Amino acid sequence: MSALVEADHLQKTFALGFFRKKVRAVEDVSFTVEQNEIFGFLGPNGAGKTTTLKMLMGLIFPSSGQARIFGKPINDRQAKRRLGFLPENPYFYDYLSGGELLDLMGRLFGLDRAARRKRAAMLLDRVGLGRAGDRALRKYSKGMLQRLGIAQALINDPELVVLDEPMSGLDPIGRKEIRDLIVDLKAEGKTVLFSTHILSDVELICDRVAMLVGGRMRDVGPLSKLLSPRLLHTEVVLEKDGASELLRVPPEADVDALLSEALAAGKHVVSVTPRRESLEDLFVREVDAADVGGGAERMKRDRTERKS
Amino acid sequence: MSRIVALALNTFREAIRNKVLYLLALFGVGLIVLSVPFSQGALHEQMRVTRDVGLAGIELFGVLIAVFVGVNLVYKEVDRKTVFALIPKPIHRYEFILGKFVGMLMTLAVMFAIMSALMAAVLSVQTEATNAPSNSAAIVRAIALLFCEVTVVTAIAVLFSSFSTPILSGAFTLGMAVVGHFTPELRELTARIGTVPSRIAIAGAMRLFPDLNLFYVSGAMVGGQRVTVHGSFVDWGYVGTAALYGAAYSGCALALAMIIFSRRDFV
Ligand SMILES: Nc1ncnc2c1ncn2[C@@H]1O[C@H](COP(=O)(O)OP(=O)(O)O)[C@@H](O)[C@H]1O
Ligand SMILES: [Mg+2]
Repeated sequence: MSALVEADHLQKTFALGFFRKKVRAVEDVSFTVEQNEIFGFLGPNGAGKTTTLKMLMGLIFPSSGQARIFGKPINDRQAKRRLGFLPENPYFYDYLSGGELLDLMGRLFGLDRAARRKRAAMLLDRVGLGRAGDRALRKYSKGMLQRLGIAQALINDPELVVLDEPMSGLDPIGRKEIRDLIVDLKAEGKTVLFSTHILSDVELICDRVAMLVGGRMRDVGPLSKLLSPRLLHTEVVLEKDGASELLRVPPEADVDALLSEALAAGKHVVSVTPRRESLEDLFVREVDAADVGGGAERMKRDRTERKS
Repeated sequence: MSRIVALALNTFREAIRNKVLYLLALFGVGLIVLSVPFSQGALHEQMRVTRDVGLAGIELFGVLIAVFVGVNLVYKEVDRKTVFALIPKPIHRYEFILGKFVGMLMTLAVMFAIMSALMAAVLSVQTEATNAPSNSAAIVRAIALLFCEVTVVTAIAVLFSSFSTPILSGAFTLGMAVVGHFTPELRELTARIGTVPSRIAIAGAMRLFPDLNLFYVSGAMVGGQRVTVHGSFVDWGYVGTAALYGAAYSGCALALAMIIFSRRDFV
């Protein structure tokens, strides 16, 4: 069984404005998503996550490179039957109700009336919109639209679910509900590919993560492999006469000696915590390496583009 | 097929839930009703006015609805990003265009039905009073022709709106419709000026515009005879021929719209 999603050196350049100024949204992205995994697509805002997912969904055409879903070319109708997609900040027909929207989407998959009813009711319940199904979408809040977007992505009971920022617009409880839903989908045997710029979303549930910075793929792999297992430092908190002090002990130093010294001095040991690299550290390291914020690389890029 | 029907029904549903449309239809209806007290002369003269104003009203409001709703059909879906959820569904992009178009024709059919019913009601009251023939068979053919006309206008609107903004599309579509109404005059005018190659080029360019005169024939000369909805009107054979022309023209415009839409990036 080959990978469900294969992205092969995808690249996308937009031409902007009257002078058709070139903007490279995605420079070089390759990855695969395997059967029954939760794959996190992680990157800061403007990294090219949405652009990449849109290429996979057939909404925009790559400038170069190619992609396959279920081993079929993009926009293959048989492949699309097994696919569900939540767009970023979804917006739907505001003259419809939630139930009517799901009914329309069900029709596009050729579901009969009974199946559409059943699935729509089940999905509205599942995303927490059980009582809002009859309400017009123009009265939905952003979070409700997000939930409805997830429901419509699941209308065909897809094998592959692609979600662009599924937790955005939701409160902490809502985020947890969506995380749980993604984990449930995996338990049902489905494959989930989702994008996010929030580290804790992937840290908790992803089997593998791809990190995208400035339109380039920095890293792909299981989180444990991406994170350096190296000890950064050990944090020691000591206390004496109600005053506490925090010590950052470098990895090469002898923590045991330090502790016995402290105890001998009549200090009380509150905590000893070894710090390894967190996802956040990795994120910062990657963004720094790509230098997207400052722009030395971007300026260089702009200059070469103007020349060419 | 069922996918096109689903998309068409959704388009139709949007239109009938849109209050602006009712307002437009109301104007059309008002025009027909108001024509009655203002018309002078004997009762059977008033019937002529009802027929003329009624058909003109149906044409005018049919074309206006086709343009103003038509240019938004595709544009709004892209602008509001509702296509983002739709395109990854198992549909072809051309099915989306067809669904929008068919849904729009369904909407226009309902508008036509409302305005025609009102016109028929006014005419039947007048017939009771005068015993003059209402000439309803001719009116049905005239309305069928007008429906062909708005079909063509809708197809043009969809074509422009598949790549342009509503304001530009609306201007272009109205422009095409206006030029389309003056094709014989323009043809005559351009046949006399310029050199032969330029005349051929202009004649060719004129073919790009729809010949909308085919569809509004009351009072015109057809085959050397004057036809009106008050007396002898064109037969169903003529309506069929005109419908074929309309279908061919709309088909070309839609095919172009589908090609453009299929190659677009949705950003
Ligand atoms: N339609 C567009 N035209 C021009 N530039 C775009 C367009 N869409 C996205 N971009 C640019 O491409 C880059 C990647 O955007 P996007 O894929 O939306 O990032 P992300 O989803 O990771 O936040 C950004 O720099 C953005 O400004
Ligand atoms: Mg995004």
